[in-house]
Amino acid sequence: MDLAERRGMETDVYQPAADSRLLAEAAIDRLSDRSSGRMLEVGTGSGYVAAQLRAALQWDVVASDLNPNACREAHDRGIDVVRGDLVEPFGAETFDAVLFNPPYLPTDPSVERDDWMEVALSGGPSGRAVVEPFLETVRRVLRPDGVVLLLVSSLTGMSDVTELAGDAGFSAIAVTTESFPYESLTVLELVQ
Amino acid sequence: MKESLLDVLCCPLDKHDLELEDAVGDDDVESGTLVCTECGERYPIEDGIPNLLPPDMREETPA
Repeated sequence: MDLAERRGMETDVYQPAADSRLLAEAAIDRLSDRSSGRMLEVGTGSGYVAAQLRAALQWDVVASDLNPNACREAHDRGIDVVRGDLVEPFGAETFDAVLFNPPYLPTDPSVERDDWMEVALSGGPSGRAVVEPFLETVRRVLRPDGVVLLLVSSLTGMSDVTELAGDAGFSAIAVTTESFPYESLTVLELVQ
Repeated sequence: MKESLLDVLCCPLDKHDLELEDAVGDDDVESGTLVCTECGERYPIEDGIPNLLPPDMREETPA
């Protein structure tokens, strides 16, 4: 699905799509081997991924989003949600896992719209405008053996993202990949 | 928000602990204020959702 098609969705909260499902399935698979802990889903949107994880695993699940309407929707699903900017409102060494399906579509600034769906989808000209500050700040909130599960699209530049992750002190492992007509989606596991 | 959520939260500006004031609701806080123990910045809890955006990002419209 391309940006234009996604824009056809008349809502101001990103609804679960192929990328959400891929992230939820990969995270359940990867985290079920680990002892129960506490996870954060950044940019939870509708709260779908957080709810899937909470149903499948005995973990404490916390979510955040910038969009107040997304926070409301996730809260109505019973998710503990905080309105905030990426990991800024969370304490140091707090989470055993952080999940993020970021806004990643490369977008021409001259055609960017000023609404919440644009914020949910657009990764700026490079597609990495949100991924980059996320990678720069996420390590602070991870416990020493904590991991990040990050959804990355081929449109965002896989090698650029793994390089940014490396700069932030992570090694990246691709845990699953799925191909679609316009992009392939990969879930990266980032270990410290 | 569950009061236990306070354990994972901090002031988004200086990362110090937050204190809950004027809480309405028991373990599930419906409204109240989270106050930074260091800088004193106040963050509202409305309809069970804490708003921990820095004051300059708090407006309801995007970007």
